[in-house]
Amino acid sequence: MDPRQQRVDAIRARSTELENHIIDEYRGGKIGRREFVRRGAVVGMSVPLLTFLATACGVSTEDLEAEDKPQTAKPKQGGTLRVGQQQPPGALDPVLVNSQAGLTILGQTGEFLIWSDRELVPQPRLAESWKPNEDGSVWTFKLRKGVKFHDGKVMDAEDVASTFDRLADPDNTSNALSAFTGVLSKGGAKAVDASTVEFHLDAPNGNFPFLTSSDNYNTIILPKDYDGDWEKTFIGTGPWKLDRFEQGVGITLVPNRDYWAPGRRAVAERQEIVFYTNEQSLVLGFQGNEVDVVVQFSVSGGKALLTDETVITTELQSAAHRQVHLRTDKEPFRDKRVRQAMALLVDRRALVDGLLDTKADFGNDSPFAPIYRSTAEVEQRQQDVAKAKELLASAGKEQGFSVPLSGWQGFEMPDLAQLIQQDVREAGIRVALNITNQATYFGEATYGNSPWLDSTMGITEYGHRGVPNVVLGAPLKSDGTWNGAHFKNKRYDALVEDYVAAVDLDEQRRYAKQIQELLLDEVPIMFTYFYYFLSGAKDYVAGVETNAMGHTDVSRAGFT
Amino acid sequence: MGRFILKRVLLSIVTLFILSIIVFVCAQVLPGDVGRSILGPFADQKSVDALNEELGANDPLPVQYWDWISGVLTGDMGESRAFRQPVEDVIGPALVNSAKLALIAFIIVVPLAIAGGVWAALKEGSFRDRFVSIGGLSATAVPDFVWAVLLIIIFALTLGIFPSTATAPPGSGFFEQLWYLILPALCLVFVLFGYIARMARAGTIESLDADYTRTAVIKGLPQKTVVRRHVLRNSLLPTIAVVATQLGYLIGGLVVIELIFNYNGLGQALVEAAQQNDIPMLQSGILIVGVVYLVATLCADISYSVLNPRVRLGAEQ
Repeated sequence: MDPRQQRVDAIRARSTELENHIIDEYRGGKIGRREFVRRGAVVGMSVPLLTFLATACGVSTEDLEAEDKPQTAKPKQGGTLRVGQQQPPGALDPVLVNSQAGLTILGQTGEFLIWSDRELVPQPRLAESWKPNEDGSVWTFKLRKGVKFHDGKVMDAEDVASTFDRLADPDNTSNALSAFTGVLSKGGAKAVDASTVEFHLDAPNGNFPFLTSSDNYNTIILPKDYDGDWEKTFIGTGPWKLDRFEQGVGITLVPNRDYWAPGRRAVAERQEIVFYTNEQSLVLGFQGNEVDVVVQFSVSGGKALLTDETVITTELQSAAHRQVHLRTDKEPFRDKRVRQAMALLVDRRALVDGLLDTKADFGNDSPFAPIYRSTAEVEQRQQDVAKAKELLASAGKEQGFSVPLSGWQGFEMPDLAQLIQQDVREAGIRVALNITNQATYFGEATYGNSPWLDSTMGITEYGHRGVPNVVLGAPLKSDGTWNGAHFKNKRYDALVEDYVAAVDLDEQRRYAKQIQELLLDEVPIMFTYFYYFLSGAKDYVAGVETNAMGHTDVSRAGFT
Repeated sequence: MGRFILKRVLLSIVTLFILSIIVFVCAQVLPGDVGRSILGPFADQKSVDALNEELGANDPLPVQYWDWISGVLTGDMGESRAFRQPVEDVIGPALVNSAKLALIAFIIVVPLAIAGGVWAALKEGSFRDRFVSIGGLSATAVPDFVWAVLLIIIFALTLGIFPSTATAPPGSGFFEQLWYLILPALCLVFVLFGYIARMARAGTIESLDADYTRTAVIKGLPQKTVVRRHVLRNSLLPTIAVVATQLGYLIGGLVVIELIFNYNGLGQALVEAAQQNDIPMLQSGILIVGVVYLVATLCADISYSVLNPRVRLGAEQ
């Protein structure tokens, strides 16, 4: 027998039912190579193993390997790499950080159990492997051995368990609670031995590995005796160590010579992170050669960079979006035909092409962004003014109506509000814009005390997430804490619970399709686009790796 | 003289006390919840409640005021709610940065504008007078952010002479820091030149017209001596007051310049504190700006009284 086939058989003999199911689907041509790797990785199969299986089953790994390699020339050893990014708005404490600017810093000196790459494939980092039990309610992680913190102490399962315990404890007011509430409670992470951790979940969860990954950016592994003074040491296990931190100015990092993966040790001899207080200064500084890499810029703020020949821009599909909620319990949106009409009046192509310079995917009125593998094929909603007018007439609103649209002065949201105002005017709908500052819009962020949650119609920003679980829950479930649409639908709630619990992708996709169709019909929220994550580097820099969450790994970056 | 200074200092203390109450009351009306501002709109409500409790944000207002003001009096400004650090540790570097920029701008603009104003006044109605007056006024009329963008485009992006930011890299020496501050300081020079020069010009014209100047000229004193001994001494009195009031603006009011030049100064720190509901930072920062204003005004009053004994004697009587 072919030795390769023998190895495949051996692997299959020790694989779980779910793993064999994924292999069968790949062999049967039901899923492609990329999806095979992603699905296999989520349930804990290692990437080398998946690569071997992909080859053994007759599919070339050429493309796969090419994806993992930097797209540009090999960088030279040494030099000081200057990275520009927005200034973090508050204290740099991994437990509390809740901003894009803060999360990019955590990932420099800290590391996650799993790295969620640009294709949303979970890659092992501090965890070597992970496996769910049968129903996905207990996940067992095997940790990498020989990993040391920057202070020389060896990282073990106790450190990992205490990191997650700290984040899941409501007393610590962690930003990660929004992801862990209802999933992982304090005490749920248990050190089984020095290199094994078990996560006992509150409910089955098929995408739990993503909650331990770089997508849930507060989860960098910290020592068990961590006491909240991260800014003094930036302690972690990552390829960079703190040299100097100056509040409001920047950070200087030097390579961690004891880093556990010799092949991923820092190429540059120093990394200087320069803080900018606003995007305009950041772009000017980048154009003026004061920094070599810009972590993120928007289409509206960094248009000049998109056409600059000295800049290599990276565009990554993401699930970041703006939600336009329509109060389902209040006139004029109580009738779903009116909500459907609103969604039909919006010209999504104009939004994507005009507002975002084509750097976005179309939204289809559900959180299932095209980047998610579980997103099912559902017909894309297009602008249809005639149908919208028909729906309004059947709902007794052929004369149109007036409605206030709330939002805040940030990103491209005021422009989005104006474009919606313009689009719906065609059907006699008069939108009065109520654009305030951020603090006013969010208010106390509780029902009755927040224009975000109380307004008849409002625009809210949501960042990228590796899985749609949080956005399926809080803004849309009947008991959701961010449910500005006041949408209450028992069938929807049950479908989301089933989707979250599903470990198998086919099953997830089946529930996803039903959720997508239900939301397309009910339209509690208009999801009009999912914009791309944009970053840039000068053409003399190579090896910068980013993902849609905004993590920028420059450990293998340097000058060409 | 001592009595005059004592009286001014006591008045300043009363003013600061009133300012502290106004600042405290104003800070309370900021929209949003303290814990929510720090943890973000998507944070769990339990976390927000726990943080509010921990920060004392639920205490009665008089208790909060007393905690703050008694701390300030003993040199403890409290803890920044956003940065979880003592306020003085966050605000101190920002104040030093603002002072650096203000100092450089002052060193350039004050002598330049006074010289320009006097120079123009000595030939009232001439081309050079019109040049200084109209040119200065035009420069002042252009908003600071326009100057900032213009200077960045010309000197940073096109010619590549100066950096586009004002923040020098960590560990930079004196001259490197100075280099980074030239462009924002130039912006301030353009904005302030016309104002100060016009005051100096008006004061000089008035002094040149005064009896004591005429007497000095009739006595046969050379023009340079007349200007130095008799004209400048009197003409600069109103200019000193103008310069002093600009100091407070330069320390705490350069929000736009700091924003465009990415400079971590006090103005920007205060705006961020207001946006993040960081009340201890905001209150203490405004109080510091108030102190700067009062100290500058006090210095101006003292200089005024030295140059003009009538002011000092009037105050003592």
